[in-house]
Amino acid sequence: MKMMPCPLNGLRNISEFVYGGEVTDMPDHTTCSDREWAEYVFYTDNQIQVVTEWWLHAPSSYWFIAERHTGSDEILRTYDPSERFTERVDFEQTEDNTTTGGGSGS
Amino acid sequence: MSDPTSMLPDQHPRRSLAWRVWAASTQSLAVKSEGLVVQQAGENDSAMAERCGLIDLTVLERTGFRGRQAAEHLESLDLPVPDAPNRAAVGTQGETVLRLSARELWVLSAAEDDGQHVRRMANQPLPTKDCYALYCQHSHAWLVLAGRYRAAVMAKLCGVDLRESAFPVGHIAQTSVARSNAIVVHHQWGRQPVFSLFCDSASADYLWEALLDAMAEFEGGPVGLAALV
Repeated sequence: MKMMPCPLNGLRNISEFVYGGEVTDMPDHTTCSDREWAEYVFYTDNQIQVVTEWWLHAPSSYWFIAERHTGSDEILRTYDPSERFTERVDFEQTEDNTTTGGGSGS
Repeated sequence: MSDPTSMLPDQHPRRSLAWRVWAASTQSLAVKSEGLVVQQAGENDSAMAERCGLIDLTVLERTGFRGRQAAEHLESLDLPVPDAPNRAAVGTQGETVLRLSARELWVLSAAEDDGQHVRRMANQPLPTKDCYALYCQHSHAWLVLAGRYRAAVMAKLCGVDLRESAFPVGHIAQTSVARSNAIVVHHQWGRQPVFSLFCDSASADYLWEALLDAMAEFEGGPVGLAALV
């Protein structure tokens, strides 16, 4: 059984975890292009390298960050998101209840 | 009004999520926290609870808090806050405080009272910032596994070592039990140490059946509240 070290719960079977995508810096949603936003939301680099990813420990609903090598599948490090994210991100609501600034919307 | 304990479980307004699976193995019922629990399941409840017994305490009061100020809020209510996640502590009134993460805490009602302390606590005003109520009463079922074979039973269902040497009283494991997610708490409840299992409300009757199946090897079965308190 492949194991993963959860920063909150310790070493657990990989079946207890859910992959959540790469950790990337969020562009400014009010000024970025549709392409930049799509890059952030949907696209991954898919290179053989060490990647930084979101993982969820499902029984405790705990999201954390893992560094994993995509070639060997070795998990190098896992840590709490507070090490990387220190401030809450709030989205300002506009009058028509939308939050994005760009795009044609069609 | 008719005596609630003489009612059938389906006639009482506040009943457990898994009542359909335990109703047939029940000798008498009791009202606790305004809900129906099994008072006596069979003739040899005490011996069964000493070996390995299972009871559904879903109707008993519990509440939760989340946020940066959650720990301070509980301390202001004179409750002990465990100093690390995945640890439990018992307050002076008998309530068990679970620390499920750095900022998430649950409070379980004591075996001896009727849930009034937890109910009063849940009605207290929250801090104005960074503390939110968690409504774990209806989201989760609460099953209690008692008896000296409790760790051996769980070894058949769960990958985490829950033997006393690795998982003493006061420890919590949030893990997979019978391929369903559950929170396992090792704590003193009533007369003896027990494993409290909290699973999604929709999994309650599945987990009840899975536990009974694992307990059969140890001649375990359902027990009533009288055997624990």
